[in-house]
Amino acid sequence: MSAVAPEASTAAGPLLEAKQVSIQFGGLTALSEFSLTISRGELKGLIGPNGAGKTTAFNALTGVYPPTSGEVVVAGERVNGMRPFQINRLGLARTFQNIRLFKQLTALDNVRIAIVADSKPWFDARRVQGLKRGGLAQRAVGAALDATNNYRDWWRAFLRTEGFLAEEAALTKQAEALLSVMGLSGRRDELASSLPYGEQRRLEVARALGTRPSVLLLDEPAAGMNTREKADLMVLIRQLRDQFSLGILVIEHDMKLVMGICEHLTVLDHGETIARGDPASVRKDPKVIEAYLGEAPAHAA
Amino acid sequence: MKSFLPVLAAVVVLAVLQVTLGSSPYFVYLASLVGVNVVLAVSLNIINGMTGQFSIGHAGFMAVGAYVSGTTSLLLKDDQLGFLGPVASDQLFFVVSLLLGGVIAGVFGFIVGLPSLRLRGDYLAIVTLGFGEIFRVVIQNSDGIAKGFAGVPGLSLLGSFIGQFGGALGVSGVPQHSSFFMVWFWVFLVVLLAKRLAASSHGRSLKAIREDEVAAEAMGVDTTSYKVRAFVVSSFFAGIAGGLFAHFVPIINPGSFTFVKSMEVVVMVVAGGLGSTTGAIVAAVLLTLLPEGLRSLFLELGGGDASLAQKVDQIRMPIYGVLLVVIMLTRSQGIFGTHEVWELWGRWKKRAPAQPT
Repeated sequence: MSAVAPEASTAAGPLLEAKQVSIQFGGLTALSEFSLTISRGELKGLIGPNGAGKTTAFNALTGVYPPTSGEVVVAGERVNGMRPFQINRLGLARTFQNIRLFKQLTALDNVRIAIVADSKPWFDARRVQGLKRGGLAQRAVGAALDATNNYRDWWRAFLRTEGFLAEEAALTKQAEALLSVMGLSGRRDELASSLPYGEQRRLEVARALGTRPSVLLLDEPAAGMNTREKADLMVLIRQLRDQFSLGILVIEHDMKLVMGICEHLTVLDHGETIARGDPASVRKDPKVIEAYLGEAPAHAA
Repeated sequence: MKSFLPVLAAVVVLAVLQVTLGSSPYFVYLASLVGVNVVLAVSLNIINGMTGQFSIGHAGFMAVGAYVSGTTSLLLKDDQLGFLGPVASDQLFFVVSLLLGGVIAGVFGFIVGLPSLRLRGDYLAIVTLGFGEIFRVVIQNSDGIAKGFAGVPGLSLLGSFIGQFGGALGVSGVPQHSSFFMVWFWVFLVVLLAKRLAASSHGRSLKAIREDEVAAEAMGVDTTSYKVRAFVVSSFFAGIAGGLFAHFVPIINPGSFTFVKSMEVVVMVVAGGLGSTTGAIVAAVLLTLLPEGLRSLFLELGGGDASLAQKVDQIRMPIYGVLLVVIMLTRSQGIFGTHEVWELWGRWKKRAPAQPT
């Protein structure tokens, strides 16, 4: 199942690389020259006070906002200007700070949507393209076959072919496996909106894993959780990294959580990167203390 | 093939109904009207309810289907495939002209959908409304267009086809090949598609777009492509509905496909509950029969005087408006919300009062 992570695209290069990415909204620079790399098995943190540009950085990486300048490289491919779904298919998945589940769908459906079934088109794509270059009759046949390929999912759903049913069963099995990894097996058929807050966050992670990512971006996964849940989550995040051999980038307000699990931290303030390094040295950095710890202790809530 | 069992069952049931009830012209006419509206409502529900895109130009695609299919049948009226016999040959031509109307409507759906489905909410509604009206106005002026095309090499054939549309007067004399069986077989097909789609990976992706487009995109769903395909299939069935319509009414003219018709279908979908196929069916049946019921009621009230009953068509829209306001005030998610009848039935039986919002 999806425990088999996609193969490494380039031999040794990082899975995700941001090179001096800037984002400007009109005159406002929300993110300035942000650089970061994530390789397989790395667990990094992105911290900073409210409004520092952490979520903007996520949006830049995942294609929600195309970078104003700089470059984002996912699995060796430059993704500037690509649509978010294309970037996702290269192996970058994320969760959202303000939980964006498919609320009126069940937990199972939420995860199944993310999983892409492996299936071939009915008519070989290359041969169809060949037909479309031929004479008038051939082109007509080519166009018809192409349309049939495009609407293949509709036909298969409508006819409920054997292949379709097998594929649905496989999707369901994979989704169930992911739900159980995230401890949500009992919630399989419940609407996402009816789950408690902490479980909604875990469901978002399960859904992101459904896309078979090599890099996972978690936007405040522990927000709104109690201490106990947070501790469990820390263990779980580490476990996910090992089980799925992921690179993980976590945005988090809770300093304790971030210091506890991340091997490397990047600190943002007003869109600028003010520090980076291992947690111990970042904690001592006077700039960080001033911008984050010193000035806004209330964030811990 | 287990998946074809429902089709066989439907054919048998419809054939029996055709034999037993098909001889009453009033019943067949009314049932056909209801059937066409159900096809329209269920197909619009795929794009408005399931995918969450607000399109209000469905009558335009219905018009395309009606005119293409009706004109094709008109042109083929005197032709026959000798080896099939007159009845079978007529029905074959009827099906071919229906499919042609549906496919052309689908092509127009693609042309309209590709640029406009990048828009959201109100903007999409305005664009689809605009296209619906453009179709109607073009048809209304089809005689002039035909004259213009006549002199242009390569377009004269298309010109003479469009010339059959008859401008504001419309097309009359389309052979009345439609039957209760044919209309309700298409109703069955579109309902089966909607139901099976909802339980498929493709349908779930459409629902994901409705629930949260940003999240769907982030989870690898190519939202634009899914929306356009949903729009094309929806338009195809609107075209089929139009084709069916053209084969049982005495005349089709641009007046049948105005904004009012589009709104009628939207009202059905919204009243039934956006996203609920059974809701769309129930609302389409009720709202089609409502004017008929009012007509006989008014006939009664007027003591057999038909002048009052003839006004039903004029007061239909205010009644729809009031109905919609009442539904929005009392039950804003529509009669069935996004759920199907059997799901709600299960919930009522469990007596779980918690209603997710």
